[in-house]
Amino acid sequence: MSAAAELPELSARGLSRRFGAHAALDGIDLEVPRGSTFALLGANGAGKTTFLRIAAGLLLPSAGEVRIAGISAVEEPARVQRRIGYVMETSRLYPELRVRGLLRFLAAARGMPRGEREAAVERALERFGLGAVARRPIGNLSKGFQQRVSLAQAFLHDPPLVIVDEPTGGLDPLQRQEVQERLRALRGERTLLLSTHDLGEARALADRVAVLSAGRLVALGPADELLGHGDPLALFRAAGGGA
Amino acid sequence: MRPLLALCRKELASLFGTPAAYLVLTLVTLVSALVFFDHLRLYNQILFVYATGTMGGFDSDAVPDHVNLWNNVFAPVLENLGLTLMAAVPLVTMRAFAEERARGTEELLLATGIGPGRIVLGKFAVAFLFVALMMVASFVYPLTAVQQGGVGMEHLAAIFTGLLLHGIALASIGLVCSAFAASQLVAAVAGWATAFLLWDFGWAGAFVGERTAAVLDAVALHPHYGAFAEGVVSLADLAYFAGVVLVSLALARLSFDLRRIGP
Repeated sequence: MSAAAELPELSARGLSRRFGAHAALDGIDLEVPRGSTFALLGANGAGKTTFLRIAAGLLLPSAGEVRIAGISAVEEPARVQRRIGYVMETSRLYPELRVRGLLRFLAAARGMPRGEREAAVERALERFGLGAVARRPIGNLSKGFQQRVSLAQAFLHDPPLVIVDEPTGGLDPLQRQEVQERLRALRGERTLLLSTHDLGEARALADRVAVLSAGRLVALGPADELLGHGDPLALFRAAGGGA
Repeated sequence: MRPLLALCRKELASLFGTPAAYLVLTLVTLVSALVFFDHLRLYNQILFVYATGTMGGFDSDAVPDHVNLWNNVFAPVLENLGLTLMAAVPLVTMRAFAEERARGTEELLLATGIGPGRIVLGKFAVAFLFVALMMVASFVYPLTAVQQGGVGMEHLAAIFTGLLLHGIALASIGLVCSAFAASQLVAAVAGWATAFLLWDFGWAGAFVGERTAAVLDAVALHPHYGAFAEGVVSLADLAYFAGVVLVSLALARLSFDLRRIGP
């Protein structure tokens, strides 16, 4: 096995991020093992999205570092972005583009050659059940379908790591179930890093969990150990989460 | 190259997928036509007054040399075309980056690994194409100057180059404003304000020293644009417009780094 293959998919060391006087992240150390489904759990404002944006190379930390398969997200964001799929909190897509058009555009923006691009788009449409709406403008789709499009674009280039920020935020119960089932089907296939404030979602999808509260890491371990018994909400309360 | 072309195609589709692009093109063409015909009407009146001033009826020899199609129609039309561009171009460039940020799609784009440099270049290329289209749509009037106004093809080429460079410089300034502005409206207003501020510093001559006035004149758009309209193509003017574009694109690129650093 090569040295690179032995590295964790994501590792954060002493990761801190301040917005003015507010510490969004405060000295986070964690590792996301390869092939795992890892949930960042925490109340709103705990620092989950900030962590994911730094990991995706979209935001710089105030201190510390994040590496994706050994590549620094601070120094080499483009290399990191080629290795990850990123799904933002709530669907942020081009409403005027059609589903297939958006996927084609994003595949081309990733530099995929035409033949490979078409095959990747077809695979993504099929995997996320988007064939029936492929010709529809994204702005006309329901939130559930828009979220599926968001997920589909993150898988176009077959990345080893997919980062999903609040996968079911703003969805109705049926749409939530639908998206969760699609994510569950991906478990073990590649590394998934999710953020959620929903304990049930973390329990259903993740095999490892990190709990963030007010920017600090308050718990880290297997999902069934942390969330399987007792009062998991105590983890939120312990550090005054969500403040 | 492939990501850049993909972005340009998407940008063109987005631009022409809304009525704004057609509206701006129509307005520029319409304003150019109105200004042209208004000056033509005025020129005919002046001509009529001079030529019928003598008792013997129409006498074209009575028209002084400085009253001609170039001075009375084409030169003011070109001046107005430059000003029309100043009003129109920020309306096109305002959405370039501000809309991406408002929708939250800027991060979607960045997450593909396309890179801020390519995003800025792609947006600039599309703005360039749109300005060129505006030029073609409104260049029919300067074109008639070749046939009717005694203007040679070389002069016409200089005029077209000047207008195009002027438009591109305005587009670059508009892109910087869009890259830093909080909304499309702010981007448009900032684009107009910057362009009008940079248009001409002739008024400042009365308030500043000779040396400062010369520096202000060197950074103003109008003296460089005006030289092309006179048919003069100089390296200094070309370098000026290239400088405006390069500095603007560098600033737009910098805005991405500043957002990555965050507040």
